[in-house]
Amino acid sequence: MNVPYVNLAAQHAPLKAELLRAAERVLVAGQFVLGPEVDEFEKRFAGLCRVPHAVGLNSGTDALILALRVLGIGPGDEVITAPNTFVATVSAIALTCAKPVLVDVRDDLNIDPALIEPAITPRTKAIIPVHLTGRPADMEPIMAIARRRDLYVVEDAAQAVLAEYDGRSVGSFGDLGCFSLHPLKTLNACGDAGVVTTADEGWAQRLRVLRNIGLETRDNAVAWAGNSRLDTLQAALVMVKLRHLAEWTEARRANAAFYRTALSDLPAVRVPAESPREKCVYHTFVVQAERRDELRAFLAGKGVGTAIHYPIPIHLQTAGLSLGYGKGAFPVAENQAARILSLPVHQGLRREEAEYVVAQIRAFYGL
Amino acid sequence: MKVPFSYLDRQFAEVNPYLADIGALVKCGDFTLGKALEEFEGRFAALLGVPHAIGVGTGTDAIAISLRLLGIGPGDEVITTPNTFIATVGAIVQAGARPVFVDSENGFVIDPDLIEPAITPRTRAIVPVHYTGNVADMPRIMAIARKHSLVVVEDACQAIMASIRGRLAGSWGHAAAFSLHPLKNLNVWGDAGVIVTRSAALAAKARLYRNHGLVGRDEVRTFGVNCRLDTLQAIIGNRLIGTTEAITRRRIEIARRYDESFRDLGEFIDVPVRRTGVRHVYHLYVVRAARRDELLAHLTANGVEAKVHYPIPVHLQKAARCLGYRRGDFPVAEKHGRVAVTLPCHPYLTDDEVSCAIDCVRGFYARAPLRSGS
Repeated sequence: MNVPYVNLAAQHAPLKAELLRAAERVLVAGQFVLGPEVDEFEKRFAGLCRVPHAVGLNSGTDALILALRVLGIGPGDEVITAPNTFVATVSAIALTCAKPVLVDVRDDLNIDPALIEPAITPRTKAIIPVHLTGRPADMEPIMAIARRRDLYVVEDAAQAVLAEYDGRSVGSFGDLGCFSLHPLKTLNACGDAGVVTTADEGWAQRLRVLRNIGLETRDNAVAWAGNSRLDTLQAALVMVKLRHLAEWTEARRANAAFYRTALSDLPAVRVPAESPREKCVYHTFVVQAERRDELRAFLAGKGVGTAIHYPIPIHLQTAGLSLGYGKGAFPVAENQAARILSLPVHQGLRREEAEYVVAQIRAFYGL
Repeated sequence: MKVPFSYLDRQFAEVNPYLADIGALVKCGDFTLGKALEEFEGRFAALLGVPHAIGVGTGTDAIAISLRLLGIGPGDEVITTPNTFIATVGAIVQAGARPVFVDSENGFVIDPDLIEPAITPRTRAIVPVHYTGNVADMPRIMAIARKHSLVVVEDACQAIMASIRGRLAGSWGHAAAFSLHPLKNLNVWGDAGVIVTRSAALAAKARLYRNHGLVGRDEVRTFGVNCRLDTLQAIIGNRLIGTTEAITRRRIEIARRYDESFRDLGEFIDVPVRRTGVRHVYHLYVVRAARRDELLAHLTANGVEAKVHYPIPVHLQKAARCLGYRRGDFPVAEKHGRVAVTLPCHPYLTDDEVSCAIDCVRGFYARAPLRSGS
């Protein structure tokens, strides 16, 4: 059996007719830049996250960069985040000329709130908790620290649309929430796209100016800025998929639940637990496995695609050397980097495929 | 008769081939980078006659990334003109540098005589803008840049296929930025831009930088951005790039008709400056007109969709307050803000529509129509 890690072709095949109709609608309207389609998408996305405002941008990375810019974060400032995230979280900080300050994560791959406070200095301006894998970070203590120390919170919810913590959507806790609609995300554009959510109308307005070359109206520029608009065409395409998002999310959760049960008796493979406070949406289903690389090769030989998110923590990347951390700085994240493996969990995964994956994992460990 | 400024409905009236291409992409799900983008970059480089073209998110990004990767940053000054679209300056600021303005000449491009006096010990780059589709005086600008060891990034966003003595805009500087915005001469269905350069090193850096600094999937060489030209847009670009020269010729033809039809209006209208040896591609056909606001109202009332690019020069924008310029600093750019008006000049206009626009302008200045009928 062949079980690919992702299958975008299979996801899109049944949507093709609807997607093409959406593309044609944009074309007939003749508006390829901003306009009613983007407005409508933003309204629906805000509703989805139960926040007052959503602003469509060119990518999740731009969402992080512009969120930091809106907060006035720049040279001399420090921003705290985790070392095991996708590089864009840290790049965004570095590109605003602030200093990324990394703290280690817990067993659930998310930032350890207990380590945040010791990392705060007089220059710290913000915390970026990452809802990695689609699991919400532990927002209650994080928000408490932020309030106590007067720090901004920018949620990196790139992997976590529809995830909840204490019944509240991610992206609604912090000052700003950053989402990605990259093709490999659960809610995916047919290209790069991103969104920022916020409860603050002033920040939403500022983001609309910053994404559009600083223009408040066609002829009035009120800030220097780049061009980071969510393509109108992509907004229309994503709206087709919005209708399916709840169902896709439940399918991923069901796949995760299946794996969790089916692998629960394997001491060599730790499956991610789910606390009652969390609703995880499983952008990735990451197990921590003994002999990970051998397992991965074995699975590949049996036709099972897997991935590693991510094999090298950011502080050990070439780009991260300038941050001045060495090997050993973040033992949990480093240890996980050698053990984590993402199993196929996408909404199109059939039960017999998941069963096959489990059977191959068991076979590898001689069970 | 209505003479529209936008032309997307006409350009894409036969939509099925595009939808078929998009359908094929949707079916394979290969939405990021990949073959279609590589093909587009190859064809774009060939069209420009330069070795490297790198697709990025927007024309603005193309300028900002070029500057940044050529080493321009905080503390550096970059010379450009306030007679441009705001994005040129936004890009300079994105790169961390300080924009320094010098006035433009009547052809809507930087006045080369004014560049050297603006150079300070902190000046690191010049961003000449080939605004409206005219070409800045690149031989002189390159000579100045060589003399003072400055980097030149051409803002060629509006000037694809424009040239000086046959040498294309975008092939002069260390790098050049193009835009494929839906209203550009070569356009796609959303935002997209291209960097072109002769430097293999810069091209490699740009490819890294636009994609998170990633080498392969897992190695991060440098902190970068996500600024890829969408593969979906590259597919549209591949369908259109072969038409660029034909589009350019038709624009030039319409511009020439306007020029000739306004010859006896010299006391009211200055047609676009045509320098010897320069191929102006008329992304915007901008005349400088007496009683501009009245003319604009007259054109609009008669269905001719004219526009003003742009009423407020960049140095007088609210965003520019921090730069400390004042009204009066750049008289040519300021005058253009008062007198410029852009007539529809796209290749999808019929001859009758062009005649209608011409006669509408002539009528406003109480001149007889050139032809009756429409």
